[in-house]
Amino acid sequence: MNTQTAAATTLASHKVEQLSFERILQGLSTAVIAIDATGLVIYANATAEASFEGWIIGLDLKDLLPGFTLLNVVQSGPTSMVLSSKSNESYEVTLAPLGDGHFVVDLRSSSKQLEAPIQTELDDLTGLAKRNMLMSHLTAAVSRGSDAASFAVHCIDLDRFKTVNDTLGHSIGDLLLKKVADRLNSACRKGDVVARLGGDEFVVLQHDVQDVAAAEKLAARIVDLVGRTYVLNGHTINIGASVGVAISEESSQPRDLLRNADLALYEAKRFGRGRYRSFESSMGALLQERRDMEVDLRRALALKQFELSYQPFLDLNDDTVIGFEALLRWNHPLKGNVPPLQFIPLAEENGLIVKIGEWVLRKACLEAATWPGEMVVAVNVSPLQFKADNLLETITSALARSGLPAHRLEVEITEGALLDDTDNVLITLTALRELGVKISMDDFGTGYSSLAYLQKFPFNKIKIDRSFVAGDNADSEAILKAVANLGISLGMSITAEGVETAEQLKRIRDERCTHVQGYFTGRPMRPEVIPAFLNQTLLATL
Amino acid sequence: MNIYRLVYYSRNHVSSDDASYETAVDDILAKSRVNNVRDNITGALLFNSGCFAQVLEGPLDKVEATFERIQQDERHSDVSLLGLDPVSQRSFPNWAMGFVGLSDADAGRFAAVGLSSGFDPSRLNGEQIHILLRDLTMEEENSF
Repeated sequence: MNTQTAAATTLASHKVEQLSFERILQGLSTAVIAIDATGLVIYANATAEASFEGWIIGLDLKDLLPGFTLLNVVQSGPTSMVLSSKSNESYEVTLAPLGDGHFVVDLRSSSKQLEAPIQTELDDLTGLAKRNMLMSHLTAAVSRGSDAASFAVHCIDLDRFKTVNDTLGHSIGDLLLKKVADRLNSACRKGDVVARLGGDEFVVLQHDVQDVAAAEKLAARIVDLVGRTYVLNGHTINIGASVGVAISEESSQPRDLLRNADLALYEAKRFGRGRYRSFESSMGALLQERRDMEVDLRRALALKQFELSYQPFLDLNDDTVIGFEALLRWNHPLKGNVPPLQFIPLAEENGLIVKIGEWVLRKACLEAATWPGEMVVAVNVSPLQFKADNLLETITSALARSGLPAHRLEVEITEGALLDDTDNVLITLTALRELGVKISMDDFGTGYSSLAYLQKFPFNKIKIDRSFVAGDNADSEAILKAVANLGISLGMSITAEGVETAEQLKRIRDERCTHVQGYFTGRPMRPEVIPAFLNQTLLATL
Repeated sequence: MNIYRLVYYSRNHVSSDDASYETAVDDILAKSRVNNVRDNITGALLFNSGCFAQVLEGPLDKVEATFERIQQDERHSDVSLLGLDPVSQRSFPNWAMGFVGLSDADAGRFAAVGLSSGFDPSRLNGEQIHILLRDLTMEEENSF
């Protein structure tokens, strides 16, 4: 055998090895995870994914096993610890170093906990039951079976507790938690179990629940009592409570009940906090979907699943394309193209929009820098990006790195950005204008449409919401005309959005809108077809 | 010792039929008297079929503890705290708790001080309620 074939054989067997090792790992009934030096999951076999009900690569191991810390882990050999997952599965966790600060982690389920007698360990601060005690009571209640009366699980989260901690300090925060514990105790009957799972998370196990109404009565009482004003060391404190309720059914498991109550709590918070919601079976699927999407969304940036497409807008003076609005697209590997309406609100809710928005700004500037002439790129900026406090810096650096002149960037904001903290937002907007960046007011006509905003800041452009363009009634037309006139007299351009027909185009032209954007004048397109599109429209106008 | 004054009003959840109403009020007053004497708290209570309005005066921790008991009492709802401030001296030093009931005479008196049938305490600040309570309770005291 010559050296060349020997090398080839080694390479081949190496490949086979890689393939089969991966298969072996995937086939193991033990959960195996690999983490990097910061504790992020970089590999998980099928059992691990199943244990945590989903794709966990990219998540922090701390998020899966709340008690986990890299601090006690040594680099020289294996480290073992017993940890509980969020759903209170207990695992014997062994970490073995892989070099470079990476570790392979194997998790063996330790099911001892279920057989254990009722735990009695109490929370030091509040004197309430701790998680283990709650779980053993819950397990006992479940094991009494369907002959016994039903019971209910209430998951409780405090609203605005963090603000109290941040503004008045932890000692007041702790006092507050004690009083909350008192009130929960006084709302419950003797025999009910009130537990604190840590932070401002509480759970009540309500026994002898005759019907849904009985459980909801307690939930309403908790919302009322916990939400009443507190007086602590002379401070007046107002917080709220959100409650999710789940009632035991035949064959329900402790874990399911807690999860269901937690899902209902999530809904209560989504519907505006300071209220309770009872679990409904549809919540499971819906919320699971949202949570999956959140996990996916967290990974999407890293995995480069986002891209931008660009919709042209035209100057109605000479009917030429003068720029493009950058529109975010998410190409999900399994779900395909996810519509922005499905993920932008979620990203706004969990704050991811700040990072995503930053990526959009940088990417849009880079791509626009390759466009010919004075072609402008318009980028939507979320209110949260203003709050994040580094918007100016981000835009400055996006412009510098791309080489795009500032006057070719147009930042689109909605009224939402001006609702809170208006003064600081105005300072940022003014600084952006001084850089030379154009600022436009997006979706005008749908929100408060406060004229005061138009007075407070000299926007370059107002974009009239598509609903007024599409509506072919007298009201829409009057509004269109009024906003257009308003813009003209304030020296602002007016873009009509969502123009889809020749008739609509004629109408907005008649109403003296200065710019147009819509399917009729150009659909969103991928960046690589922009040069061809521009050549074509150039020819068309000639 | 520093004395604090707390003023609040609340809606009451006491049934308005005569017997249970009186029982509930007696119960509230009896408990208050015992607790307040023990805690060195004095004050005044204005009470009609819809509202409680109360002034509590005493050491901060005791005032807070009393207020917390009230917050946990199901017979109160929509509790609004109107004021909590340190004061140089008590306005109700010798007096644990008083009661202004629902007699026609009282109703007339409420009207005379601007509290017509609606009795809308949200339009009064803590100090005004306090003055109102003091006048009412002094009058009540004198009538015995």
